[in-house]
Amino acid sequence: MTEEKTGNPVNASYTHAQALDILAAGRPAHIKAAAEKVLDTLGEVDVVVNRTGLAMLPLIDTVRSTAFHLGEVLVSEAHIRVPDRAVEGYGAVVGRDLEHAMGMAVIDAAIAAGHQAGLILELLNAERRHQEKEDRQLLQKVEATRVQMETF
Amino acid sequence: MAYVATRGGEYAIEQAERLFRADLGPITRERVDAVRTGLPYLIDRLMGEASLYEPDLAALALAQAGGDLYEAILLLRAYRTTQPRIAVADPIDQPDLLTVRRISAAFKDIPGGQILGPTLDYSHRLLQVDVLQGNDYVPEPVIPAAKPAPATQPSLTSWQKAQGLIPNHPGETVAPEEIPDLTREPLLFPAARAHKLQSLARADTGGTLALGYASMRGYSAVHPTVNELRLAYAPVRLRHPSGTIFSAGRVRVSQTEVISKVKELQLGFSATFGWNEVKVIAAATLDLASNQPNPHPAANEEFVLYHTEPIESSGFCIHFKLPHYVTFQSTPDALRRVKTDKDTAAVKPAVTEKLAPQQEEVAL
Repeated sequence: MTEEKTGNPVNASYTHAQALDILAAGRPAHIKAAAEKVLDTLGEVDVVVNRTGLAMLPLIDTVRSTAFHLGEVLVSEAHIRVPDRAVEGYGAVVGRDLEHAMGMAVIDAAIAAGHQAGLILELLNAERRHQEKEDRQLLQKVEATRVQMETF
Repeated sequence: MAYVATRGGEYAIEQAERLFRADLGPITRERVDAVRTGLPYLIDRLMGEASLYEPDLAALALAQAGGDLYEAILLLRAYRTTQPRIAVADPIDQPDLLTVRRISAAFKDIPGGQILGPTLDYSHRLLQVDVLQGNDYVPEPVIPAAKPAPATQPSLTSWQKAQGLIPNHPGETVAPEEIPDLTREPLLFPAARAHKLQSLARADTGGTLALGYASMRGYSAVHPTVNELRLAYAPVRLRHPSGTIFSAGRVRVSQTEVISKVKELQLGFSATFGWNEVKVIAAATLDLASNQPNPHPAANEEFVLYHTEPIESSGFCIHFKLPHYVTFQSTPDALRRVKTDKDTAAVKPAVTEKLAPQQEEVAL
């Protein structure tokens, strides 16, 4: 989350964590379509892992500050290697969409390789705008439910 | 030990299952989708009690169980055991929560204000019977505010701690992998607070409500007021192989603090997967009540945690349907012997009455 942005146009605009956040929350069809395009020119890909599994989710109690487990979240993850470019890619998304996770891993590897940066930057910008719009719309509806309490 | 042989069992069991499933009809993707989108609060409750967050699987479990909640929880928990644990996410802290509902019944002017969010608390409860006549009920859309609400809300307890209203309990830094885990360690008493809160997070809503309600009605030393209630989305932050922490998506969570004055202001806490206000209010009350010295049995930690575990309690309840012929046989045998002895005893005085009435009086 704190790594530096570099000369790569993607890395210049987004930290690694921001890019991963956007890809995981992105519309699956858009992530998969972009990954397909990247794959055409990325080179041979070795799949290390593509599976569903559990992520235990801890939460911190606000009263005594005790960290405890809320329960497990089913996630899909994909871990790939691109030997020709000596890079790896990783994706993990909440839910059972293995293709989304794989698409994310492909794009992550491409970011690491500085490959198809224009296409990826366009995808990240579009998905970020979409997510921000969705969150803003949700929070505008939430704000409509704000109340002021007065005691008489 | 004796056994009872069953003839025709395999065939009968198969037909019994077919009869159950025939009532439900085909389980289709469309039905699962309808359950997931149409019953989100039931899905939330199920995921919380199953301790597994995946709305599609929860909807499938509900559809497959015909709405039998305990059966659905069992299905989900069984599925959970087939999956490897691939990560322990970064702990969620209060400022991480994208909050859509946040109210306090104890303090009206809370930092960040009060936001009702999605709720029926102040609405008339009217059945839309016209729907049964073929007239769809289409809800009125929300009129959005010009400005969005803040995505996150400040911590009320931090404000109270800063005011000196409640004691500050600085937390210990525990690596996520070191947090005590009920699914891998037995629940021992007195329970570690992390075990207690995890147990309440996956506790049966109905059981938690029954015991929490008993505490609220007076079977404990606490009288709860909701200090803060939140419905929110929490990020699931995982670690990339390079070490980067990122959000793999969001899950719905609810959390509540209840406040009560015993000798000083004290708080109880609970949180769970999904949006389930009744459960977290009841569970937070039980957390607070069980922390008191000599709590009433309804709020006793061991009593509460053992009896609100949904799979163990429902499983124990329904196991009584299974054959107990041999063990139960001793009971009717004993009853028959007692009856025989009584009958014999009843006949004997009738005979002796005629012979020696005074002896009967002595015997009585």
